[in-house]
Order: sequence, then C-alpha cells, then structure tokens
Amino acid sequence: MTVIESQSSSPAALLRAAAVVVLIAVGIFLPRLLRATSVVYSTLTTIAIFAVMCYGVDIVLSYLGEVSLGHTLFWAVGGYTAANLSVKYGLNGWSTAVVTIVLCIIGAGFLGAVTLRTREFVFSLVTYAAAVVAYEIAFNWDAIGGSDGIVGISALKLPFGFAAYVGGTQEELWPVAFALLLLTLAFIGRFRRSRLGTTALMVQMNPALAASLGVDPRKVRLAVFVISAPITGLAGWLYAYQRAYVGPDMFETYFLVMMLTAVVVVGRRVLVGPLTGTAILIAQQNLLSLGGDWNKIILGSVLALVLIFWPAGLIGLFRRFGKART
Amino acid sequence: MKKSIKLAVALLLGVSGPAMAQDIKVGTIFPLSGGAGPDGQSVTNAVKLAIEQINEKGGLLGRKIALVSKDDESTPAVGVSRANEMIAEKVDLVIEGWNSPVTLAMQPILARAGILDITAVSKSDLILSGETNPLAIRINSSNGFDAGIIAKYVVETLKAKKVAFLTQNDVYGNGFQTAVEAEFKKLNFTGEVMMTEKFAFKDTDFRVQLTNLKSANPDAVIVTNSSNSSGLPAMVEQYRQADLKSAFVGAVGIMLPTVFKVAGDANNGIVSADIYFWNLPPFDGIPESQSFVAAFKKAYGVEPDKSAALGAAALQVWARAVEATKSLDRKTVAEAIRGKTIKGTVFGDAQFLPNGQLQPRYVIFKVVDGKTAKLEALP
Amino acid sequence: MNVAQQIVNGLVLGSGYACIALGWTILLGVARLVNFAHGQLYMLGAFATWYAMVTLGLPYPLAILVAIVALAVLGALMQGAMMGLVMTQNLTSLMIVTLGLGYVLQGGSALIFGGNPQTLPGTLSRAKVDLGSLWFTWQDVLVLVATLALYGVVWLSTQKTRFGSVIRAVAEDPKLAELFGINAKVVYLLVFVFECSAVALGAALVAPRSPILTSMGFNEVIMTFVVVVLGGIGSIGGALMAGLGLGLFIAFFGAFLAQAYTTAAAFGVLLALLVVRPAGLSAR
Repeated sequence: MTVIESQSSSPAALLRAAAVVVLIAVGIFLPRLLRATSVVYSTLTTIAIFAVMCYGVDIVLSYLGEVSLGHTLFWAVGGYTAANLSVKYGLNGWSTAVVTIVLCIIGAGFLGAVTLRTREFVFSLVTYAAAVVAYEIAFNWDAIGGSDGIVGISALKLPFGFAAYVGGTQEELWPVAFALLLLTLAFIGRFRRSRLGTTALMVQMNPALAASLGVDPRKVRLAVFVISAPITGLAGWLYAYQRAYVGPDMFETYFLVMMLTAVVVVGRRVLVGPLTGTAILIAQQNLLSLGGDWNKIILGSVLALVLIFWPAGLIGLFRRFGKART
Repeated sequence: MKKSIKLAVALLLGVSGPAMAQDIKVGTIFPLSGGAGPDGQSVTNAVKLAIEQINEKGGLLGRKIALVSKDDESTPAVGVSRANEMIAEKVDLVIEGWNSPVTLAMQPILARAGILDITAVSKSDLILSGETNPLAIRINSSNGFDAGIIAKYVVETLKAKKVAFLTQNDVYGNGFQTAVEAEFKKLNFTGEVMMTEKFAFKDTDFRVQLTNLKSANPDAVIVTNSSNSSGLPAMVEQYRQADLKSAFVGAVGIMLPTVFKVAGDANNGIVSADIYFWNLPPFDGIPESQSFVAAFKKAYGVEPDKSAALGAAALQVWARAVEATKSLDRKTVAEAIRGKTIKGTVFGDAQFLPNGQLQPRYVIFKVVDGKTAKLEALP
Repeated sequence: MNVAQQIVNGLVLGSGYACIALGWTILLGVARLVNFAHGQLYMLGAFATWYAMVTLGLPYPLAILVAIVALAVLGALMQGAMMGLVMTQNLTSLMIVTLGLGYVLQGGSALIFGGNPQTLPGTLSRAKVDLGSLWFTWQDVLVLVATLALYGVVWLSTQKTRFGSVIRAVAEDPKLAELFGINAKVVYLLVFVFECSAVALGAALVAPRSPILTSMGFNEVIMTFVVVVLGGIGSIGGALMAGLGLGLFIAFFGAFLAQAYTTAAAFGVLLALLVVRPAGLSAR
C-alpha cells in the first residue's frame, strides 16, 4: 500500500464503489441492527469520535514516521472551543467547528515550525512539552473553564437554511459522528493518493531521492503536521457535545494512550487501522473490563507484545498469513 | 456465552451475587484503583454494608437490593463508560463521585437516562448548579458552608491577627479560600491576610512555600490540601520539620485516616473540622450511627471514617425516601429528598436544602495524639 | 523571603532531579531509547526498598542494594524482550513498547503492593540538621553527596576507561562499532540495566521524602524530561548542571512568583529554548 496506486480496471472499480456504498449503509443502520438502545448508540458514537481523534496521529505517524505526543492539545482545542463558544456566546455547531479548524491550523503551524528540525524522540518530547504547557494553561485559566471545566454544554445545533439539525441525544449525535468518520476516511483515502501524501512518503522513505527531485522536506513536514491537527480537533469538537462537559481531563494520558495504541496496533497506512484499533480498545473497556489494575496489565501487555513480535502492527501477521495461503 | 462473561466480570468486581429479576439494583461508581482506590473502596464497602443492613430487615418495598459496583479509575472518560454500563444494567440509583471532574462528566449522562444520581463525596459547586443535573443530590458538604466554621474558629476562637493561606491550586482549593475570605468580611475580621502560598494537587515537596510562610510568621496558616494519600501527610511532616510556629488550621474534611496513619505524631496540634466522627458527639449518640459503626467494624475490622459515612448516608437517604413515597421513580424520589428532612441515617436527621445539598453538622477538633488519631472536640 | 534557605531548597530539589535523570539521559544518548516506563521503574525502586525494609527487615543501605539489584534484573528482562526492536532502531515502536511495559508494571505493582500509601522508615529523612536559621535533613545531604559521587563515577568511566569509549562508539554509530568487533547488543543491555539501577538508586534516596503509592509514575519524574533535554541529551555534565539549575529555578520561581505554576514555567522555558535553538539539543 505504499506504492502509488495505478488506475484499476472498470468492473473492479464499480465493485469497489458498490462495496463502499453497502458498508456506509450498514454503518448508518448499525445501531439499529444491534438493538438500538441508547448505550449502543453512545458506544458507537464514542468509537467514531475516538477513531477520528486517532486519525490525526495516524497521519503524522504514517506519513512523517514520527510519534506526536501533542495531539491531545488539538483534541482539547476542539473541545474547549465548542464548549466556550456555545455556552458563552451561543454559537451554532458550524461556527464552533470552523473556529476549531482555524485554531488547530494556527496551533499546528506554530508547533510544526518549532519542531521542523527535530526528529524522532526529540520531536516526540517537544510535542509532549507543548501538551503539558497547554494543560497547565487550561487548568489555571478560569475564564476558559479552570480546573473543573465547563458544564452544561447544550445540544449541537447545525442549521441548514430554515431548519436545523439538533444533536442532543446519543441517537441524534450518531449520524453526525458517522458522517465525521466517513469524511475523515474519505479525506485520508484522498490524501494517500494526493501529491502531498505521496511526496511525504517519499521524503520518509528516501530523503535523498526527494531532495534530488527538488522537494523541500520542511515544507512537507509542516504541511502534513498542519493537516493532521484539525482532524483530531474536530473529534474533540464533537466530543464536547456528546459528553456535555469539557475539562482539563481532555489532556489526560487516557486519550494519548488510546491514540497511540489504536494507531500502532493494527499497522501504518492501513485505512481502517485506527478505526479497528479504537473499536477493539473501547470494546475491551466496556465489555471485558476486569478492573483498573488488570485492564492496565492487559492493555500494556497487548501493546508491548504486538509491537515486539510484529513491529509493523497486526497487519503484518495478517499479511504473512495471507501470503502463506497463496 | 456473553452472560457467563458478564457473570464472571460481576463476580470479579465484587457484586454481591447474581441479581434476581425482582431485585432493586443500586450502582456505585467510585475509583477502585489508582491513587484514590483505597478511598473509593471504603465508600463502596460502606454502601454495601448499608444495603446488607436493609436486606437483613426485609429489603426495600419487599424486594432485596443488589449492588453493582464499578471503577471509574478517577478518569472522566472511564466514568462516562461506567455510567453507560449502569444504564445498560437498568439500575434504579447510582451513588457516585470521589473526583469532581468525573462526577461532572457522569451527571448529564445519568440525568438524560432518567437514573437517580446521588453524589457522595465530590465537592464542586457545579454539581448542584443544575446545569448537569436538575435533580442533583449531594451528601458531602460544600465549600461555602465549610468556610463558615473555619473562619469563625480563626477569627473568634484563635483570635488570629495575621493569617496566611496554603492553598491547593484548583477550583476546590481556590474556592475554599475565597469563601473563607468572604466569611472574614462578614465577621468583621480586623486582622490581615499576609500571604497566599499555592501548590499543585500532586506536589509532595513544600519546602519552598513553607520557607516563605516561616519568614512571614503568621498566627495561623489555613491549609487546604485534599491529597490525603501523599501530599497532605508529607506537608504535615515538612511543616513540623520546618519548625513553623504558626497554628496549622486544616480545611474541613482533609484530615482523613490515611493522613493520621502516615504522618502520625506530626499531626499533633492540628485543628480542623469534619462532618462525621464515629466516636465524637453528636454522632456517638445516634442509634443508626452506632449500629452502622458496629457492623462496619465487624465486617471490615476498622471503624468507618467520614467517607464511609457519606456512602452509607447516600444509600440510607435514598432508601428512606423510596419507602416514604413507595416509588422508584427518579423525580418522585428526588423531590422527596431535596428540600426535605430524612430521618434515620448515620447523620441522624438529614436535612437537605432545595438544591440537593445535605446540611452538615460540624465538629471542630484538635489533634491530641496523631498516632492513634485521638481527637479532642472543641466547642 | 529567606534567600539562603531557598538556595538550600533549590539544591535539595535539584540533586533529586539530577539523580533520577542520569540513567535516562545516558539511555537516550546511547540507545536513543525513550523509556516511558521510567516513572513506573522509579515507583518500583521505591517499593522494592520499602519491601526490603519493612517485610524483609533489612537495614536501609542493604535495602537500597536490593532495590538496585531487583531493578537491574527487571531491566535485563525488559531489554531482552525489546532487543529486536533496539537492534533495528525502530524507535517509534520502542517508545510505545516501553509505554506498554510501564502500564504492566503499574497494574502489577498495584495488585502486589496494594493501593495504600506507604512510608519508608529507618531512612535519614527525619533526621534534621539545623545550621543557624537554615534547615534540611541528613537524607538531603545523602542525596546530594550520592548524586555527585554517581555522576563523578559515571563521567570518569565514560571518559577514561575503554568501556567508556566503547559506549561512546556505539552511541555514535552502532553499525560501524559492530564492524569494529563491538557487540552492540551487550552494550545496549548494559546501558538499559544501568538506567534501571540508577533510577532504583534515585528512588531509594529521593522517595522517602514523602509517602509512596503504586499510582506514582511519570508525574514524579516529569522534571527528568526537562532536565535531560535542557542539559543536552546524552550529556552527563549537562544533566547535572541542568538538574541543579532547574532545582534552583523552581525554588526561586516558587518563592518569588507562584509555586503552583512551576511545572508550566519549566516546560515553558523548555519550549522557548527549543524555539530559539531547535537543533542544539542533541549531544552530537
């Protein structure tokens, strides 16, 4: 999947398009197929939101080869923007989403510029430092919520001309979450084939070749990093409406570890990788929870063992299995 | 297959037996692991015991009560998951809340699902603001009330002229300090607040702040530190090591058993207040409290502390309200509690304000012997 | 504002930071391995010391040794598991593996040692020293002396001994070093074991200041992070200077400005430095 995909033949493309349509239809009606209780809706919505959150980190990891430990910053920016603007100024969903995207781009621009020449662990440490500073600011700045955060975030309002879509309950938020997930998947699918995406991959795999082709690696790095930020930011935006409460806990390692695990466990540049990873994690937490301590042991072991035996992620196992059968 | 997994999980989580179809289900969500794990365990144990006491007497509305206990790991996102699980379990009541952010995250979810939610310990004022849950009920005292008794002691009993604050830097600590300063105004305090030193909840080294306080040498230092497992005991010890002569006045409710256990003798002379003591008046004269204390000691080998009392009271308040209204409906039961008085809890008569806050009865104390947690009640 | 006492406070805090940071900076410098389990290893070092003193009844110095040995063994096991990734220098996966192992250590310790706070009796942390109006404890003196001694020993070994040059060769270019007959695997193993032993020593000396909990973790060692990056990754002298300097900064910032914001200030300084001198952080 690292090769630029050539034009596939007509019937295969049609088949693929049909499959996508079917999957989308199944996705929309999935909660109803699973008995449509509010818990099912909220679990699926949570999975969708967290998956979108992970895709931001996934872009940085897959296309820059770096681990960003600062994406909780953008996640929080999304949440705090939605919370503050809707509670204090009554702005609707579109406005808060636009502000989120703008703030994330600005923030990522700054952070990206700072980390332009850093690599690997220094990059990770710097992004982590940025998240820590942002946490301290959010925790201490009472005007944007302070240590207890902002409560009472009202329902999501998305006006369409005369009518408005209101997302107050989990059932109502599911279509929005699913739409956001689909948009993200489509975006990443396109990004993969785009000039920036392929160039970024080339810079990662063969910097000398890229340089000889006149590519400026720093511009590419910055662009990819800036593009990854609003994705996580929009996930945080929707999370604020789903949970109706936003606080400095948005910076907690709980979310960071989820991002890293979901992205790494399945594998890089696998389109449904982060989605699958997120679904597995949330399923374990909700259905097979054995208490906080055992959960930590399980999560840690899975993470360590998968990466030790299949450094490229579980997809490596799948591919090897697939190869063995042919 | 799924049911047996659920059963195994339930047993692992310490649920008291598989719930029968006609049992009333009560859920608890507290931290059972991590830094606040032991505290959350204590509260959950108290709720469990209170349930057993009711079941022994024939149950509630002729049915037995079953407990479903879950761990929120002090993380709001996990608490939200657990709240959703409670909804799936179709519980009739959730008793929750050690950390305020976790409570604030769970409240709207439980409220939307129409499940009655009683907050046992979390102290944030936002919990009762009505925005997260219009029918909120909280057992632990609020900063506003707490400030009154501490301010009164400092101004009228101690007659301090120079006061300093050593405050935890978050909404809880800062809120308490603001409330105390407001009380000072009401009491026409003629002295001065010399300085405020702040620290983070997770801090365990306070030399820098204590050095500043020592130089200023106030008559009293009002300390607000809710890190009962590590920060506060360390602070108490370092306070003594730094040889501060100022009186150590602790905010309401911070002197929990772990502080005595860890800091021992260093606690001697500390003055603070709390809303429940199993062995001090008026609580040692309340029959419900006495029977609860005896049963708790028998079951867990130690007397219940304030946190355990909060858990038990939450259950008892709800049970009495259910008995009185013969209903499990959230609105009916909540309205039978908010603004009303419930008799027969470990706190004696539990009087609630219209906003759901239980009115506390304070006992001011001085630590006589830190090792044995021997306290002397002050008038 | 007692300046002299705050200087003492700063040195006490700083020697603690430096002590805990030494292992991490060497590991980063040599193997480029970000050990996210560092905080949990610190916690385990503290609990191993506690267990040795309270359950096994050993005196404090022996308990320190027990902690060091226990963590050295643990480190060897961990590094053995990660060796494949280390040899292929798959740094991103390594980071996450250490994160996972840290989680396992945390969950496991909570199950074994329980969630209650414990104190370490029999250390010098309650033995006060009064020098005029200044105060500190003998434990603080011990930490400072041990830190300086440790740094001295490590610096001398890396600069003066053959083993030191071997380590520096592997840090510089592992493949080239292998060509010269150096067994990089052994070097990585020893460096990781050293990191674990050093953090065990640090924990045994510093943790007695306050109650220990199995939930302790990265928060306790978060300043390590700043120390390592500020001092220059892999730089031993840098880590010592940065550690002591950071301690003094925190003491004075806290004394004259606001103690509650010291973490933000430290990280803010770090970020500012990185903006100004982004490339000038690696020892190379």
